[in-house]
Amino acid sequence: MIDFTKRLLKTPQGAIGIFLVVFVLLVVVFGPLVAPHDPEKLSPLARYKGPSLTYWLGTDQYGRDIFSRLLIGARATVVMAVLATIVGTLIGALIGTASAFLGGRADELIMRTIDAVMSIPSLLFALLVVNLLGSSTVNALVAVAIAFAPGMARITRSVALSARKQDYVNAAVARGESAGYIIRREMLPNVIAPIIVEMTIRVSFAVMLFATLSFLGLGAQPPAAEWGLMVSEARRYMHLSAGILIWPSVAIAIVAVGFNLLGDGLRDALNPRA
Amino acid sequence: MIVYTLFVVSLIVFAITQVLPADAAVMMLGENATQEALDALRATMGLNAPIWQQYLTWLWHVVQGDLGTSLRTGQPVGPVMFEALGRSLLLAFLSIGLMLVLAIPLGIIAAIRRGKVADMVVSLISYAGVALPEFVTATVAVLFFADWLKWLPPTGYVPLTEDFSRGIAHLVLPVCVISIILIAHVSRMVRSELVDVLHTDYIRAARLKGISRGQVLRRHALRNALLPTITIVALDVGYLLGGVIVVEEIFAIPGIGRQLIVAIQARDLPAIQAGVLIMAATYSIVNFIADILYAWLDKRIQYD
Amino acid sequence: MTNTEHPSPATPVLTIENYSLDYETANGPFHALKNIDLAISRGEILGLVGESGSGKTSLAWSIMRYLPKNAREPGGRILLGSDNLLEKAEREMETFRGRRISMVFQDPSTSLNPTLSLGKQLAEVLVRHRGLSWQQAWTEGEARLAHVGLKTPAQMMHRMPHEASGGEKQRVVIASAFACNPECIIFDEPTTALDVITSRQILDLFVELQAETGVASLYISHDLALVARTAGRVAVIKRGEIVEQGTVRDIFTNPQQDYTRELINAVPDPARRLVNDDVAPTEKPLVEVEKVSVHFGRKPFLSALTGRKTERVTGNNAISLSISPGEILGIVGESGSGKSTLAKAMTGLNRFEGKIRFEGREIRNLGDMDNAYRKDVQIIFQHPDASLNPRQKIFEILSRPLKLFGDASDLERQVGDMLEQVRLPRTHANRYPHQLSGGEKQRVAIARAFASKPKLVICDEITSALDVSVQASVVELLLELQKASGTAYLFITHDLNLIRQIAHRIAVMYRGDLIEVVKASEIDSPDRAEYTRRLIEAVPRAAAQYQ
Repeated sequence: MIDFTKRLLKTPQGAIGIFLVVFVLLVVVFGPLVAPHDPEKLSPLARYKGPSLTYWLGTDQYGRDIFSRLLIGARATVVMAVLATIVGTLIGALIGTASAFLGGRADELIMRTIDAVMSIPSLLFALLVVNLLGSSTVNALVAVAIAFAPGMARITRSVALSARKQDYVNAAVARGESAGYIIRREMLPNVIAPIIVEMTIRVSFAVMLFATLSFLGLGAQPPAAEWGLMVSEARRYMHLSAGILIWPSVAIAIVAVGFNLLGDGLRDALNPRA
Repeated sequence: MIVYTLFVVSLIVFAITQVLPADAAVMMLGENATQEALDALRATMGLNAPIWQQYLTWLWHVVQGDLGTSLRTGQPVGPVMFEALGRSLLLAFLSIGLMLVLAIPLGIIAAIRRGKVADMVVSLISYAGVALPEFVTATVAVLFFADWLKWLPPTGYVPLTEDFSRGIAHLVLPVCVISIILIAHVSRMVRSELVDVLHTDYIRAARLKGISRGQVLRRHALRNALLPTITIVALDVGYLLGGVIVVEEIFAIPGIGRQLIVAIQARDLPAIQAGVLIMAATYSIVNFIADILYAWLDKRIQYD
Repeated sequence: MTNTEHPSPATPVLTIENYSLDYETANGPFHALKNIDLAISRGEILGLVGESGSGKTSLAWSIMRYLPKNAREPGGRILLGSDNLLEKAEREMETFRGRRISMVFQDPSTSLNPTLSLGKQLAEVLVRHRGLSWQQAWTEGEARLAHVGLKTPAQMMHRMPHEASGGEKQRVVIASAFACNPECIIFDEPTTALDVITSRQILDLFVELQAETGVASLYISHDLALVARTAGRVAVIKRGEIVEQGTVRDIFTNPQQDYTRELINAVPDPARRLVNDDVAPTEKPLVEVEKVSVHFGRKPFLSALTGRKTERVTGNNAISLSISPGEILGIVGESGSGKSTLAKAMTGLNRFEGKIRFEGREIRNLGDMDNAYRKDVQIIFQHPDASLNPRQKIFEILSRPLKLFGDASDLERQVGDMLEQVRLPRTHANRYPHQLSGGEKQRVAIARAFASKPKLVICDEITSALDVSVQASVVELLLELQKASGTAYLFITHDLNLIRQIAHRIAVMYRGDLIEVVKASEIDSPDRAEYTRRLIEAVPRAAAQYQ
């Protein structure tokens, strides 16, 4: 474990990535406790203020402290994105592994279907699902998970296939091992690593997708402190105070870049050969 | 293959939209309509038939070119959608054009000057581009260029045929915003492909024949590195379509994305079905063309 | 042209004086080459023999001045004629490369640009260095291709690399190297990626061209036998240092250094048999393979709709052979002959038609291969990197067969014993595969195969990916184990010399067919099938001429 962390920290991507992600996770867990002000508190007299000692990042159109709202919003945005990615990966991994395992016609059929499904852009897909289920945070989560599943299925399948081709799997077959053993002990440990890398990178897409849905009014609803929603609301007031727009955007960027870099770093660190 | 794709897409679209709890008839006539009126309308709209029959009827109409009637406007959906598609395609082509002009040289420079300052700068740009969703870039761009600097109009659309220069002015920001993500992606890809190619044995063999760096790049490396770019660009059209939806919404451009958002918010089923089908079809066709182009250019691949 | 370009025979064409090369790494400088002294004169072929990691390829890059960024040169000179290459700027080197000094690489499928025609890649050298127009270069190129023995040069110019065979491609590469009449050519293992018969042809071509042009040649190889065939003088390199150099005769008859002796002894010599020929043909063979065929290829999904014809490739065509208990049966053939395919069929990795009889029991498909069969029939693969699961410790890898087929008690002690049996330290049990060398990994694979005390072990090219000296020790180990346990081997290889040393009988395969099965001692009799005779002739045998 220590060895792994050391390897992760060796690359600049890994180091910066893990730093950012840990920071973000700390915010998610402790954010609401640390928030200097009540994010819901409206202060009509303190609207549109710039950064100051009381309001670290300034206030928004209702006089709410932007910093506190960001801290709260971290939960809405990040946790949802991570959950959606995990769910999407699980569904996708199941389909992908099954397809790789079945092989032959079944595999081809499943893959062609997945390709067809993927011809609907993810945002569009998510929009459709949300449209179907109604606009809310949970439904947006479901939408994003379903939108990611086909992509993860493809990747899982290709990783599983290449693991299947390796001689150590052949050696196991030649020993007469059962399919269950082969999948569990021989293939899975070698398949999980690339999947984790891909998943980490996808979280950054999930964050952006989630924020976009909220921005379009189809995800989190006001007065939630979701970052995408904050940007959407800020549009009308941005000429009064740019901060209302800038800070949530920066937050989104930090999270997206952080997970992206972490994924790149993990790719090198999890490689057993290097 | 493409036929199968469209078939599956149509199934998905129909399934997702048809499972809606809202009844089309109720939507059209309002909540207070009489039962007889509702029944009559349902009968004419064919809503009483089993689902699979409705699907086939719809499919049959689509294949003939009839995409249904909008529940919101009462007008045929097809012509409106296609006109909107035209505008979106303009946006898309301009974006891709800008992207190609910028991303490819950037990627090449980053690859040649790997590890040096130029490479880091390009890396940074592409990370930044990937980290910001379109709505953020768009909103910030509007803030910066339209509100503060007042160089460009914030929203709106003017057809190029009407007033070219004003039309272009309105398109500059949207095109740039969409391009940013594409440039970030593609330049990264080009860089990575070119770096891989420059490390191959055959490039080394060419250099050891005494061919100069520039000639090796032009004659040997570029064509091999740029070929996969076609596939990437085709795949990116997917992101492009997503970006188009958001950008059209923010910049109030009446393209197909905007139509879709409006349709979704109004729960206008036929419009939603048609819009999604058109977008998915566009994506599939683009990828199909890309595959053919790739196969034709790469004499190695046997198109199977 | 100045005088220095074609020096008098007294001055060597290529001189390397006290040259050293280091690579900067995170762990400090790595000394790749130390004080190298070599010289090659006009008309001479110098062989450079070393194993992997010896630095022989680094030397080639140094001469061509194509080193990675972290290369440092603490001292020495490399002279081409009277020009010190170390002092030349890159621009000038570009004019040297291809014109005064050129190189032929190991694998023609990777050293040719897959998207340019062969003609283009040949002509560009002529355009670059001899100032010809593309038109002229193309014509000249055709002439050159004819000169290297290609039958249809005009057509070949237009072909893409994937449309030509390995041998054809290598001829094109050789033509490019000779195109501008250089003073010196470096040949970096040019036949390693080719099959035996084609290798022989390319080697003959090289010798012919070299004699004709008198170009000074540096022939790099790991194969001492091959080098002895072609070179006049040989230098042996180990870990960056020249251990010994001299004429081929001297080196072979009177090697001074231990390492040289080791290398010479490690080369398989068919005259030195390593097994006794006393396996009595028993009535009941251990394994009988009866008319086993393997076919590949299946219909793609939509082929019924598109009406595309499906191709079925035949991997094995009605193969019949038998192995007696305790016998070593060798299978030789080129790549694509079907040897591995048969091995995989016998272990259930390929579907087959026909029958396999093991100790009288009939095996017709995967389902018949029960636990008892698995216990008795084990397989070892070619690439040790791929045959050990990188995420499992050696302990887990070795204890698995014990749990399946043997006694699961006191696993630690048993695994330790297994490691000792293959001459590895007991502590290796706690390591991961990537922490072991290639030879060590292969030993682990062998230990794994013997864990269940099998009656038949199938060795599928298990030494092909190893260095010569490591190969020798692995073979020694195998024979030791065989003596102790009386296991039969099905030894698959393309190395004819090796198989002649260790097999009781040899089966020859070609393109899916079994040509013949003969006693090892009779393999070179003139009664053999034509393909067998061609194979025997094509294989270089070094020591014979010097003993």
